[in-house]
Amino acid sequence: MPTAPSPSRSRRRWAGFALFLLILAALALVAVPAFLIRPFSPQTPGGLAVAFALRRWAPLATVLALIAGLALAVSLWRGGRWWSRALVVLALIPLAGAAWLARFNIFERMFAPLGDSRFLPAAEANWVADGDMVLAVERNGEAAAYPVRQVAYHHIVQDVVGGVPVAVTY
Amino acid sequence: MWRAEVDGRRQRFHLTGINNQNFLMHDEETGSWWQQASGEAVFGPRKGWRLDLVPYDEISFAAWKREHPNGRVLRPDDSGPAHQFSRDWEAETAKEPVVTPARTGDPLRPRDVVVGVRLGGAARAYPMEALQRQSPVQDAVGGVPVLLIAGEDGRSVRAFERTVDGRPLSFFARPGAPLRLVDAETGSEWSFAGEATAGTLKGKKLAWVQALKDYWFDWRTYNPATSIYALR
Repeated sequence: MPTAPSPSRSRRRWAGFALFLLILAALALVAVPAFLIRPFSPQTPGGLAVAFALRRWAPLATVLALIAGLALAVSLWRGGRWWSRALVVLALIPLAGAAWLARFNIFERMFAPLGDSRFLPAAEANWVADGDMVLAVERNGEAAAYPVRQVAYHHIVQDVVGGVPVAVTY
Repeated sequence: MWRAEVDGRRQRFHLTGINNQNFLMHDEETGSWWQQASGEAVFGPRKGWRLDLVPYDEISFAAWKREHPNGRVLRPDDSGPAHQFSRDWEAETAKEPVVTPARTGDPLRPRDVVVGVRLGGAARAYPMEALQRQSPVQDAVGGVPVLLIAGEDGRSVRAFERTVDGRPLSFFARPGAPLRLVDAETGSEWSFAGEATAGTLKGKKLAWVQALKDYWFDWRTYNPATSIYALR
């Protein structure tokens, strides 16, 4: 005849379930915006709004999830058998992973941001062919050119030309 | 090209996402998301703000160097092996799919290259092909008479207002190189930079009009009411 679960077993079950939900939520926080703004897919204003909100709050929310997960893990560790302890430790990996991913800019991993923009005089620019296209600006007598091949990779080049801070984008 | 300043404070931007194949960037100060094509903040504390446009050129290196022999050129980023696109990147990009919906009866293909002009509340797209065949193109956008010139390389394009001292001029290309235009009204000679180099108007400058070289699908997305210049 089956016996009713002891208070401790029922508590452990609920804690395990909560830990499971926490993992799902933390992974959704990073996976949903990544999915919504993936390249080569159409974006909608509503989808972008969700992606923005999740990206904005994910760094904080995933850390809170990790802290809550640690608390649950400690309570599950006590009195747990070796396999349930191993499971608890494994459960912390996706939580820590989500907290790390929330701080990770995959777009800047695909296209490395340009640190300091460095320049050479036009006469010495032997890496640019005559037919190569450049983005060019002249401000207060100072002229600068940014080869499109380079800007198209970085997407953003930041500079100051003739005292004017500019973001060159392509 | 945008002025990297908001409320008088210098801003630094980071690539942060993509919106229908036009990228989004965020500023370090508030984390707001800005649309590259429009310079407008679309999400975050700065939503609705617009960056100031910095007038710029998209021309061949040869054309730029001729005008700015003392200018400076961005060096390639050597911190990684492939931190610039290959020389045939345009041909490669042209093969990439387009995700914005196709429209029936659209006279242009999504990846056709157009030169877009916004003036007087109106937007108008000039197919690159039309410019190459018909330069100089005289037209009006939002009631403002404009002139579009394709450079000798066929890829450098500039746009100007063609009104001088209250009178719209009409321009013709003078045969031969280098590229020179002549206006029908005074016979003065004009350069690719929009400056009168000889004749009674010598020293006059045409007012700069910002032109954006773009794929048709992208220009249409951010200028839904755009008209298209048709080859005549």
